[in-house]
Amino acid sequence: MAAFTAILRKDLRLELRSGQSTIALVALALLVLVVLVFALDPAVARGPETAAGALWVALVFSGMLGATRVLTAESENGCIRGLLLSPADRAGLYAAKLAAAFIFMMVAEAAGVVMMVLFFNLEFDAAMMRVAPVLALGALGFASLATLLAAITSRARASDLMLPLLAVPMYVPALIAGVRASAAALSGAPFSAARDWIGILIAFDVLFVTAGYLLFEHVIAEE
Amino acid sequence: MAAPVVETRGLGKSYGLHPVLRELDFRLLPGRGAAVIGGNGAGKSTLLAILAGLSSPSEGSALIFGADSRRLGPRYRRRIGMLAHRSYLYPNLTARENLEFYAALYGVADAPAAADAWLGRVGLEASADERVGAFSRGMEQRLAAARAMIAEPALLLLDEPFSSLDTDGQSLMAKLLVAALARGATVVATAHAVPEIERAELDLYEIVRGRMLPYKEKEPEEVRRGRLRTLLGR
Repeated sequence: MAAFTAILRKDLRLELRSGQSTIALVALALLVLVVLVFALDPAVARGPETAAGALWVALVFSGMLGATRVLTAESENGCIRGLLLSPADRAGLYAAKLAAAFIFMMVAEAAGVVMMVLFFNLEFDAAMMRVAPVLALGALGFASLATLLAAITSRARASDLMLPLLAVPMYVPALIAGVRASAAALSGAPFSAARDWIGILIAFDVLFVTAGYLLFEHVIAEE
Repeated sequence: MAAPVVETRGLGKSYGLHPVLRELDFRLLPGRGAAVIGGNGAGKSTLLAILAGLSSPSEGSALIFGADSRRLGPRYRRRIGMLAHRSYLYPNLTARENLEFYAALYGVADAPAAADAWLGRVGLEASADERVGAFSRGMEQRLAAARAMIAEPALLLLDEPFSSLDTDGQSLMAKLLVAALARGATVVATAHAVPEIERAELDLYEIVRGRMLPYKEKEPEEVRRGRLRTLLGR
C-alpha cells in the first residue's frame, strides 16, 4: 500500500507540475467534439444519442493518450528499472499506474461533459449526474486495458502505433455499451433501459482490472 | 562460515549467438567487495543486471542471498541497491522529492529525514530543491548514489560509480563505498580500468572474453617489448 501511495503521489505531482497529460487530454477531447459537431447534420446532431457517441469517441482518444503518458514518463532516465528494482510489488505498481490513468481520464471527461453540454444544447440537470457513473465505469475499463497494453507494447518498436491498434478493437464491447447507457441516461429513460449495458461495462472492468493485476508482473519484467 | 551474498554457478549470458558471459563461478561473502574490470562490451553491466534480477542468465544461475536472481521477491529486492549507467531519477522532481520517493518505496521509516541526511552526505544540500533536470551529470551521479544507498542495502551493485565525477566526487564515492563495507554491506562495482576503482579498496577481478578471473596487473608495454627483445637476442 505504501508503494501504491508513493507512486500515485509521485505521478500526480509530476502531472500537476507539467500538466502535460491533462492539457493534452482536454485539448484532444475538445478537438474531437468540435470536429463531430461540425461534421454531423445539425438536424440530427443535437440528440442525446449523438451527444453520447461524441463524448465516448473523445473518451477513447483521450484515454489512449493518458494511458500511454503514464508509462512513458517512467522511460526517462530508465526510471522503470528503478521501480522494478524496488521492493514495490508489481500488482501495486499496476494499481498505481491504473489509478493515475483513471484520474487523468476523469479530468478530461469532466471537461468533455461541459463541452458536450455546450455544443449539443443540453442542460446541466439530473441527467448529467446519471451519466457520471457510466463514464467512470468506461474510464476505469479503458484505463485498465490501456495500462496493461501500454506495458506490453512499451518495449516494442512503434509502441505508440501498436497501442491503439490493440486497444480500440478490444474496447469495442465497452464502447457500444457505454454509448447506449449514456444515451439512455441523457434522454431520461428509466434505469432498466440501461441496466444490461451497465452490466457489460462492469463485466469489462472486472475482466481487465483482474487481468492487469495478474499479468502486469509478467509483461513489465525485462527479458 | 557465513553464506555467500552473491554466488554464481556456471553463469552464462548470450545475446542471440553472441556470448557475453561464460561459465562464471564466483562467490562473495557478506562485507566483502569486488571490483570487476573490463572494457566496453565486456559484459560488466550485463553481470550486474543479472545479479539485480533485471536480466535472466542464458546458462547457469545466480543466487542472491541464496535466492535465484530470476525470482527475487520484495523481501530480497529491499536489500539490493543499484547504481546504473542511467540515474533512475525523475527530471521534473527536485533532488529531495526524488530521494523521498525512493525512500518511501523502500519502506524507509522517516523518508524526509533520510532524504535530508543523504543530500548532506553527497554534498547536495544547497541543490536539494532544484529539479534534477537542471543538474550536471556529476551532480546527478551523486544523487543517484544517494538513491541507491538510501535504504542502506546489504548488497550494493555499482556500474562504473566513479564515472562523470570530479576529483571531489570521486573521493566522496570512495568514502561512501568504504563506509558501506564498514557497516557490513557487500559491494560489486565495475570499472573500465583499475585506477578508477582502486581507491575503494575492493578485490579486483577482470572479465576476459566472457570469463571472470582474478585481476592480474598487465606488464607495461615497454617492459614487455624489452623482454621480447632479450628473448630474441636483440
